[in-house]
Amino acid sequence: MKQTLQLIAAPTVMQPGGYVPEAYKDRTQASTPTVELTAEKAAARGWRIELQWACPQPVSSIANETDLFPDAAALMVPVVADAPWITMGQEDKPVEAALWRADREALYQLQAEGLGTMHRNDAPAGWSAQSQWADGVYRLVFQLKPWAALDQHGLLGIALWRGAESDRGGLKSVSSGWVSVS
Amino acid sequence: MKYAIEKPARQVAMVMDLNKCLGCQTCTVACKKMWNTDGGTDYSYWNNVETLPGKGFPKQWDEIGGRTDQGAVKRGKIPNLDSEYGRAWSFNHKAVIATDAASGKKEWLKPKGKPDWGPNWDEDEGTGTYPEDNHYFYMPRLCNHCTEPACLDACPRQSIYKREQDGIVLVDQDKCHGYRFCVEACPYKKVYYDYQRQVAAKCIFCMPRIEEGVAPACARQCPGRLRFVGYREDQEGPIWKLVDKWKVAIPLHPEYGLGANVFYVPPMSPEKFDSQGNGTGEPRIPTAYLEQLFGPDVHKALATVNAERDKRKRGEPSELMDILVAYDWNENFKLDGAVREVI
Ligand code: SF4
Ligand code: SF4
Repeated sequence: MKQTLQLIAAPTVMQPGGYVPEAYKDRTQASTPTVELTAEKAAARGWRIELQWACPQPVSSIANETDLFPDAAALMVPVVADAPWITMGQEDKPVEAALWRADREALYQLQAEGLGTMHRNDAPAGWSAQSQWADGVYRLVFQLKPWAALDQHGLLGIALWRGAESDRGGLKSVSSGWVSVS
Repeated sequence: MKYAIEKPARQVAMVMDLNKCLGCQTCTVACKKMWNTDGGTDYSYWNNVETLPGKGFPKQWDEIGGRTDQGAVKRGKIPNLDSEYGRAWSFNHKAVIATDAASGKKEWLKPKGKPDWGPNWDEDEGTGTYPEDNHYFYMPRLCNHCTEPACLDACPRQSIYKREQDGIVLVDQDKCHGYRFCVEACPYKKVYYDYQRQVAAKCIFCMPRIEEGVAPACARQCPGRLRFVGYREDQEGPIWKLVDKWKVAIPLHPEYGLGANVFYVPPMSPEKFDSQGNGTGEPRIPTAYLEQLFGPDVHKALATVNAERDKRKRGEPSELMDILVAYDWNENFKLDGAVREVI
């Protein structure tokens, strides 16, 4: 089922430390305002999740530069049903995510229990993504097998980072809550 | 500071006497060869020496943010590799090696392309009109291992920390995800980005040497004997004497409010000439300019250094001059002996 989601700027005021909340307090508009999400589950093949979003200036390489950030997208799922979305979980209420970066082939797997706690590892063998950028639009297809937390709760959160806007870390466009895909 | 940080048991610190810097860059090279020879840090200089007045390294670092002149957070800029740091030049080595004397084919060693910026690009340019008031001086810079580090406060992952035992500010590169908020936030632009390993990298105050009781390479290698290293609180050491007792060593841009632990004895200068070539009694380096760099304490610091120098000229003793002259350079450094457990 295809859904069009409105994204919001992740609130920078909640970011840990003294710099980001102050320096980026003007970041109130999502740098990517909408995304189209299609999530399908095929018993044998696991989850196929497609994202499409407009991106006029893609950044797919940051090699040999100091001031570039890559485009990126993450799918986050709660490991326990009431893990909060906007803070990326909290202590004892973890979330997991699959992170795609435009400058890398392989996905990362993320785990977090609150802002600033995220751990990044190589994704499991059954996880992959294919991306295509044409005419100002990204089309990104994740194949994720298995993903027990997604099977169990059927909830997804989306985050998009636009390299051209120096999005990274907490500077991102996010869905306004968990999105049901079951 | 939003993060609560423990006050370290003591704080290592450095004083540099700008009246003695030769601009030889031995410190820069000593540091570079020791810590930054990898591809992703080829452009970076944990220690650099810039000519002032001048653009500095990275270019106009004091204008690209992190802190306001009231010490408030201000969004900073990540310097660009080409226009602000200066990309490491590549040279025509192959063509030079292929030079064939017999055939008369000659190729001189030169950079590929036409560089238009790099570290130390404006070396010795300075400002003013010769012979009336031309002037410049050298400004060696490294991370200040601040008491309230802007870099530390900028990291949402808390990958930057201040060591409990000596206050050295370090990046935990295993935790760092290369967001570069620290690069933006440091108003001295002393955190760099290793673009190959995609992590932040900064001066470690030669931490393994400190643990052996040995001063950092930039300080030990300095032929000008102008660097002093010790603990901030040690009343027997050179730092306390120059900073707290004599009050001649002051931090760069104290208005940023970070509590820098690197201090400078500001430069004195010969007098200006009038159009007839007579001395005017005014220093060539305008004191107002030095005040922009070091804040209002620069007046007192200069007055003290001048007065103590005059004393010495009259043949009277001066503890301050004896320290600054550095008769025995070993006395520039006062650190504890080895504290590292050797395994
Ligand atoms: S000078 Fe910059 S990098 Fe060094 S501790 Fe201070 S804020 Fe951090
Ligand atoms: S080694 Fe000493 S004299 Fe030479 S540039 Fe560095 S600080 Fe100045």
